[in-house]
Amino acid sequence: MSRPAKTHKVKMMEQQLAKKLTRQVVGSLVGCVHCGMCNDACHYVLAFPDDPKMTPSYKADQLRKLFKANFDWTGKAIPWWVGADKAPLTDDDLEVIKDISFGTCTNCRRCTLSCPMGVDTATLNRIMRGLLSHVGVMPEGVRVVSKDQWELGNQMGVLKEDYVDTLEWMSEELEEDLGHGEAAIPVDKAGAKIMYCINPREVKYDPRTIKEAALIFWAAGESWTMPSEGWDNTNFGLFSGDDGLGGVSARREYDKARQLGVEKIVISECGHGFRSTRCEGVNWAGEQQPVPMESAVMTMLRFIKEGRIKVDPTRNPERVTFHDSCNNARSCGFYEEPRELLKLVTMDFQEMYPNRAENYCCTGGGGAMSMSEYTPRRLESAKVKADQIRATGAKVVVTSCHNCVDGLSDLIKHYGLGCEVKQLVNLVANALVLDEVKEPEAVPAPAEIEVAPVAVASPLAGRKILVVDDEDDVRLFLTTVFEDAGAQVLTASDGDTAVAVAREHQPDLISLDLSMPGKDGVETFVELRRTPETEEIPVCVVTGHPEFRQVIYDRPVAPPEGYLGKPVDEDKLVAYAHHIIEHREAKVH
Amino acid sequence: MVEQRVGQKTIRLVRGDITEMEVDAFVFDITEDVKLGSGFGGAIQQRGGVAIQKQLDTIGSCPTGEAVVTEAGLLKASWIIHANGPKFREEDEEAKLASAVRAALARAEEKGVKRLAFPPIGTGLYQVPLDLCTRVMVDTISEHLSDGASLEEVLIVAPDDREYKPFAARIQEGA
Ligand code: SF4
Ligand code: SF4
Repeated sequence: MSRPAKTHKVKMMEQQLAKKLTRQVVGSLVGCVHCGMCNDACHYVLAFPDDPKMTPSYKADQLRKLFKANFDWTGKAIPWWVGADKAPLTDDDLEVIKDISFGTCTNCRRCTLSCPMGVDTATLNRIMRGLLSHVGVMPEGVRVVSKDQWELGNQMGVLKEDYVDTLEWMSEELEEDLGHGEAAIPVDKAGAKIMYCINPREVKYDPRTIKEAALIFWAAGESWTMPSEGWDNTNFGLFSGDDGLGGVSARREYDKARQLGVEKIVISECGHGFRSTRCEGVNWAGEQQPVPMESAVMTMLRFIKEGRIKVDPTRNPERVTFHDSCNNARSCGFYEEPRELLKLVTMDFQEMYPNRAENYCCTGGGGAMSMSEYTPRRLESAKVKADQIRATGAKVVVTSCHNCVDGLSDLIKHYGLGCEVKQLVNLVANALVLDEVKEPEAVPAPAEIEVAPVAVASPLAGRKILVVDDEDDVRLFLTTVFEDAGAQVLTASDGDTAVAVAREHQPDLISLDLSMPGKDGVETFVELRRTPETEEIPVCVVTGHPEFRQVIYDRPVAPPEGYLGKPVDEDKLVAYAHHIIEHREAKVH
Repeated sequence: MVEQRVGQKTIRLVRGDITEMEVDAFVFDITEDVKLGSGFGGAIQQRGGVAIQKQLDTIGSCPTGEAVVTEAGLLKASWIIHANGPKFREEDEEAKLASAVRAALARAEEKGVKRLAFPPIGTGLYQVPLDLCTRVMVDTISEHLSDGASLEEVLIVAPDDREYKPFAARIQEGA
């Protein structure tokens, strides 16, 4: 049977592949003897043991076929033997490979450890992703996020003014907590010793980690700053295989560090951020003299060892375990320091097994969190990770990676493990012992002075908030929290009512659950955004389910203004609501 | 300053965020379905308001190599020229890129634009080779300016050194 003609896209991929064939890559391409020794290393194989398409060698074979058909003599001499006669030819073939490359491998590199031939399957898979992205064949989430990073300098599309606003917000909160403004976050401070770079997830959905880091830097008396640009330590080029994006993103950070004249870049706790900024970015960007860089884990550990901060581990008494990010542990050999730090700030640490370089992926790696179409498979492949965590009996899973925080949070909910995920920065900040502030001596008030009653803080006074949740108890809880903060609260228990109430009453904010029966929260969210009377009402998503990732990454409409996971922290909820409403008003004016 | 004089007109290379430029119009590299999407499209929606996407929805589509115009909402510019450049190594990318640049210039002239800003079209996510983009854009713009245009100044807004350096070289070659 004659094979179809090769499409333009396939030809472009072949041309691009020629540029990627280094000695190491060719070694991995020709080295596999299909012995199957790596199979059980892969969490996808463990979850789907009867599916040969989950084996590492099958995934890497997709690139091998293209290589053999075009660049290797065996492909000419014995094409049927080496698979060259099954190399992709049509655009439909590329769609199939897209689902294999992006949807069945998190590029975790665990299989590499088991391969006697030294085959690096994840590297081959990353190259395949790069070839596909080169011709525009990629999941929607990857396209959306990559475009943000290329054009706006960070992978969550955070605008510069919103980033700076969040830093100011956290500085204000620190001032409230400490009673003085000395811990305010310095932005673009030339000559500071440290430039602190973060994951955009912190700005968008977890700004408390920035505040905690600022508190630690202040307590240590460190000279530090955050840059107004070049601040994103993550790099979607690592996931999409686009070395151009990898180089440009890394270079922005290095250039900013040189411009500010800092001694060192400190990378907040993010596995892929650490790997791409500290390890791979230097090559992608063609750096001759890289700026010194370290993980924030090292910085915090150093502060304790040098006596610059004091910590009290009894403040973190619950049992914790540690999840090694694949990028930190397996790809960068970075696994002892987080343990050393963890033992200094917690009371009950329990290892999970296997660990360090042999740890299993959280299943959110390789950009998987941004590919919502593969969520069910991802969660199924997470079973081995869930078993690992369950066996520790820990109440808290600690990890030094924002991506893992999301991956682990999803699987903990999916498997009902009932534990929380924290990062070392959370635990160090919680254990931090600040010098005691002396209480002024009590002076009795003269009898004739009447003490006026202190007004209860009502940060949401005069605000109208719509609470949308199908669960009665959650709705009641959220209503009480908002009412206690002074807001007028409207409620809806399903999507249609939510849109109708929002249209009629024009609330200042909508708090929206994403998993509801009937019209689900994602549909409701999209409808709110597409309805002229409601399109500009800010939305804070409050959810316990991974559907949320779809609105963040695929972004069918503009993303929500805020996000909180369940169970909801009351203070956080009120602070978020207050900030979102104020921020919107400032923008409009 | 990197610039090229073409008679009384100028092509100038600058660094910055194109959606915040004080120009009469700037160019956005749009897809055929005229959805603003993420990246600069996300910045346009967030800073410029929802009216821009609505105007695009009314227009409906824009084939590769062509360009359409909307107002710029709350942004500093008056107009956004949405040009559909070649994407992801599609066939005839040089001809399609030249056509998209010419279409953008034509739409600008129709609106009486004096200062127009272009991004390096397609060199990021869309994988248009930098050398091709630099050559085609600089040559097409300077040809247009030498041909009795009423545009006075065309800015090329390079986001990074990666684009700035080759554009600077090409612009200075013709200066
Ligand atoms: S890199 Fe990880 S996910 Fe991919 S095949 Fe190997 S073990 Fe499986
Ligand atoms: S990658 Fe290595 S371990 Fe896996 S099948 Fe091939 S040779 Fe065997």
